[in-house]
Amino acid sequence: MADRRRINGPVGVTSPPVYANHTPGKAQKDTVQQRPDNTLRQIFLKTGITPSASGSAYLEVTGPSTNGPSGLKLNCTVHGPRSLAKSTPFTPYTTLTTHVKYAPFATRQRRGYLRDSSEKDLGVHLETALRGVIIADRWPKSGVDIIVTVLEGDQPREVFKGTPDEGIDAMNVLSGCITVASAAIADAGIDCVDMVAGGVAALVASEEDKGEPRFVLDPAPSEHDKILAGCCVAYLPSRDEITNLWYKGQTSGNDTLLYTQLVEKAVQASRGANKVLVDTLKEGVTEAGKQSKGSMEVDR
Amino acid sequence: MAQSTVPMFSAQTFAKLSPHPYMLANLKPSDPSRPSQRTNGRQPKQSRTLQVNTSSLTHANGSAMVRLGDTTVICAVRAESLPVTEIPNYRPASSTGPPLDEIASYDLLVPNIELATGSAPEFLPGVPPTALAQTLSTRLYSLLLSSGMVQVDDLRIWEKSEDDNDDNMEDGDGDGDQELGTVPETPGRTLRGYWALFIDVTFASYDGNPFDAAWIAVLAALHNMKLPRAWWDADMEMVVCSPEGSEFQKLHLEGFPVSCTAAVVTERDHAEHSVGKYWVLTDPDRREEKLCDESICMVVDCSRRGDTKILNLSKAGGCELDKALINEFRQTAENRWQDCRAALE
Repeated sequence: MADRRRINGPVGVTSPPVYANHTPGKAQKDTVQQRPDNTLRQIFLKTGITPSASGSAYLEVTGPSTNGPSGLKLNCTVHGPRSLAKSTPFTPYTTLTTHVKYAPFATRQRRGYLRDSSEKDLGVHLETALRGVIIADRWPKSGVDIIVTVLEGDQPREVFKGTPDEGIDAMNVLSGCITVASAAIADAGIDCVDMVAGGVAALVASEEDKGEPRFVLDPAPSEHDKILAGCCVAYLPSRDEITNLWYKGQTSGNDTLLYTQLVEKAVQASRGANKVLVDTLKEGVTEAGKQSKGSMEVDR
Repeated sequence: MAQSTVPMFSAQTFAKLSPHPYMLANLKPSDPSRPSQRTNGRQPKQSRTLQVNTSSLTHANGSAMVRLGDTTVICAVRAESLPVTEIPNYRPASSTGPPLDEIASYDLLVPNIELATGSAPEFLPGVPPTALAQTLSTRLYSLLLSSGMVQVDDLRIWEKSEDDNDDNMEDGDGDGDQELGTVPETPGRTLRGYWALFIDVTFASYDGNPFDAAWIAVLAALHNMKLPRAWWDADMEMVVCSPEGSEFQKLHLEGFPVSCTAAVVTERDHAEHSVGKYWVLTDPDRREEKLCDESICMVVDCSRRGDTKILNLSKAGGCELDKALINEFRQTAENRWQDCRAALE
C-alpha cells in the first residue's frame, strides 16, 4: 500500500538511467589500486555538526582516487542520556538504541524511506559494537539514541572491475558507522571504557598476481577483481579487545591461520582509524577551549 | 519586567528559565540607546548567513548542501525514467480536450522531506513522518508546481529517429522510424516517456526555519542538476541514455523564487484576543519558533529587475496584516532574494 504520509510519485515503475554502449574500459584506469595494501583511504572526521543533539559527528572516506567518486559519507547524531518513558520497566543500565538508515540518494539503487532488513542488520551490528564500550551502569534508567544516516554508501557501478560485492560495501559502511558513532558518543560526553573504531580487511585475488591471494586493509571493492573473504572488527586499542566481529567469505576451514591473519589485518585497519578519531577529538577539545576563552574575553 | 532582573542570575540562566520575558527584554530594551535585539544577538530583520555547496553527492543527478546558521539540509535530485506505457491514465498531447499539465498529472516531481535523522531531539527516527515533515513536503510540492519552475520540455523523452544524431533533441526534424500502429503527435517524433525527478531533502541539523532552508536546497540542486540525453530504444523497449558527459544538459528553469519566513512574537505570552505590540523576526531559530505562535512566509521572485513577483504569501496567527506591514516584509524578502542569489552563484 502506498505510504500516505509521503509524496509517492508516479504509480508506474520508474527505472534509473541505463547508459548505451557502456564501456567499462575507460573507467578502469581510475580504479587501479593507487595505494599500498597496508594503508587506509583518507578519512575526514568532524564532530559537533548538529548543535541541537547531545553529540554528533560526520565522517567521510575518500574514494579510491582522490578526484574520482568518493567512498563513504556518514552523519551520526547521539541523543541522551535521557530519561526513558514512564511505561518502560526499571533498568539499572543505559538502554542503547541504534538506528542506521541509508538516505534515498545514498546508493546506486534509490532507497525507500522505510528501513529494510540490511539496514536493521547494520543497526544490530552497531549496537553490539558499542554496547561493550559504553559504561552502562553510569546512567541507570536512561536511554541513548544513536542515529547514523548514510549519505553516500557505495560506489557507482561504472567504476567496478568485477561484479559489485554488496558484502564488502556493507562492511565498509559498518566500520564507518562504528568510528563515527564512537566520535559522536565522545562528543556527547558519554562515559566509555575506550575509544572504539572500526576496521575492515579483505583477502583479494587479482589477475596481476596470477591468482595469488593477498591481504588488503580498507578494501575498495572497485579496485579488486575478486574478494575472497572480508572481515570487519570493532576494536578497543588500549584494552586490546574486539567488541564486534563480522567475517564473511570463502576460505578453507582448515586454514585457521588465514582467518586469524585476516582478523589481525582488520585490527590493524581499526588502529589506523582510531588514530584519526583521537586526533579529531583532541582538535575539537582545543578548539572548544579556544572558543570559550574567546567568549570570556568578549564578556569582559 | 526590566526592573525585576535579579543580578544573581547570568543572562543564559535567565534565558533558559524564562525565555519569553527575556526575549521581550532584549527586543524592548529599558535603555533607549541600545538597539532592539534578539536573544541570539541578531537584529529583528537579520537572517543567518547562508552557505551553499553543490554537486557533492555521487549518485544524484544534482545535489546541494545548504547551511543556514545551524540548520543543515542536504538535497539530492535523482532522475528516473518513466515510459508512457507505465502511466495508467496517459493521454497523448494531440488528443482532444484541454491541454494537460503533465508534471502535475503524471507526478513527475516527487519531493520528500526527512526530518527524522536525529536532526533535533524531537525528531528521532523509527516513527512515521511527523505533521511538520508532512506539511513541509506538501508545501514544497505545491510551490514547485505553482511556481512553474521546471519545464516539462526538459523532462520529455522521445523516440530515437534515424536522422536524430544532433545533440539537440528539441528540434523536431527528421522523419524517423515510427513503429507500426503508433500515432505521432508531431511529425517525426513520438513521445515515449518522461523523467521523474525524485527530490529528497534530508535534514542533517535542525535549528529552525526548515522551509526556507529546504527550498533553497531544492533550488540549488535543481540548478545544479544535469540530465543525460535520453531516447527510447525500440529494440530493447526501454529508455537509454548517452554516457557522454558533454551531452548532459542542465534544466531550463523558469524564474528564481526564494522564500522568506519570519516568526511574529507578541508582547504577551500566548495572547488570546487583544494583541499588543509585536515584532517580526526574520529567519527564526529553533528557540524563537517555540516562543512564537505566528509565522509569515512570502515567496518572491525578483529575477526581472524592478519587478518583484509575489508567488506565495501565507500567514498564520492573529496579528492584523496591514499594507505597510506587507510592504515592509516584501522589502525584507527582496533583500533575502539578493542574498540567496549571491550565495547560489
